[in-house]
Amino acid sequence: MQMSATYANFDLRQIPVLLRGHPESLDAWAQRWETKRVLLYVVVIVVGTGVYGAAMGCWRAPLQAIYTGIKFPLIVLLTTLGNAFLNGMLAPLLGLNLSFRQSSVAILMSFTIAAAILGAFSPLIFFLVWNAPPLSSRAAMSSATYQFILLSHVALIAFAGVTANVRLVQLLQRLSGSGILARKILFAWLAGNLFLGSQLSWNLRPFVGSPNLPLEFLRPNPFQGNFYESVVQAARHLLFP
Amino acid sequence: MNDTKATPPVLPTAPPSEMTKLPLGTNPDEQAAIPGLVAAIEALLRQPRRVLFQLRRPESGTLIGAMLFATLLCSLIYGLIVGTFSGREQLWAAPAKIALGLFISALICLPSLYIFSCLTGAEARLADVCGLVAGMLTLMTVLLIGFAPVAWVFSQSTDSVAAMGAFHLVFWLISTYFGVRFLCHGFVHLGARSGGGLKVWIIIFLLVTLQMTTALRPIVDKADTFLPTEKKFFVSHWAECLRK
Repeated sequence: MQMSATYANFDLRQIPVLLRGHPESLDAWAQRWETKRVLLYVVVIVVGTGVYGAAMGCWRAPLQAIYTGIKFPLIVLLTTLGNAFLNGMLAPLLGLNLSFRQSSVAILMSFTIAAAILGAFSPLIFFLVWNAPPLSSRAAMSSATYQFILLSHVALIAFAGVTANVRLVQLLQRLSGSGILARKILFAWLAGNLFLGSQLSWNLRPFVGSPNLPLEFLRPNPFQGNFYESVVQAARHLLFP
Repeated sequence: MNDTKATPPVLPTAPPSEMTKLPLGTNPDEQAAIPGLVAAIEALLRQPRRVLFQLRRPESGTLIGAMLFATLLCSLIYGLIVGTFSGREQLWAAPAKIALGLFISALICLPSLYIFSCLTGAEARLADVCGLVAGMLTLMTVLLIGFAPVAWVFSQSTDSVAAMGAFHLVFWLISTYFGVRFLCHGFVHLGARSGGGLKVWIIIFLLVTLQMTTALRPIVDKADTFLPTEKKFFVSHWAECLRK
């Protein structure tokens, strides 16, 4: 298995090694920035999350599938880019002397794992949507179908995220030699990525698409309000109707 | 009569439970190539370790092709038996739907199986996973052929669609159990460290195949259209069938 560390930079056979979490290979790949390898990760993220996004959007309409197929990879890539400096600084501040590039590669690796899992599950989502009544119909909105499909998305995305982060914490543990430090860095990175990622997903909405609203790439007011304001408002409506 | 010195049969060096743990190819018989369709089916039933060993070889493509052809053939034959319940156009529609449904289900679930195999730490190539799925499908459909005479007798003796559907479902589940068992053995030999992911996949595969029976309905009963006009989940469809 030592050969897995020596795969050519743009070799798809690296992805199964990433998924298996082979420690020596992951260690070697995280140590050095290699443009072709990073490009491979970006391609896997674009394809994996793009296909999953298309499966998510196709329930509303084929055009929504294309839109979501473009927007889903954008969220992942923009989150990585937007937090690259912050994440690069947090690791050394918390005690792990990783360079900016090394931390970016480590985060990209975890997103690649999540994207590969989501891409592999997208045929199942397509099948699920194909078997569901159209989103525009009363049956889809009133029945348990709508909830079931939403729950399937939540479960799959959570599974992909958890798996990717388990691999990332294993890598950090190996690089730092400390489990506590690895979890601290992971928590810091996760907090930053969740904070930015949820706001980006708010800006780039809709993803599934509502049958009562027109089909569009972005809502007319993508930069009006934010994710957290809407959560607070929703909570206020719930508590003080 | 007494002067014949027959050579006693060679006994296995380890009990069957231990044999499954030995590396593939330990027994020289497992290294013998599997020529053709009948040999592939026989090996799946009698020497699954031989099939698993052959699937890991670079020239496994022919074996996979043979097993897929056997799956197609067996599913068409079993489909014909299913179609005899309603007769007429179901004689060709049921075989087509069963074969199509089986292959589409396998294709839908293949990428997630590969991902799960990687997550469990199995050193499996995509070709290995394809081979194991082909073996699983072949074993399932060959077993269905074994159930075919029983299914035919019942289909000629009852008018109840729900009862006939239930019989087919039981046969299907028994066949799936043996197919999945072959798949799990294969992953053990590929170095899978845990079976959790594989168990989740088995549930997904079962759900997809069960939903496929509803997506491609009617398979047992007759209908005006080849495919249904209304989308339903299999649980609600079955509940309706039982109410009828």
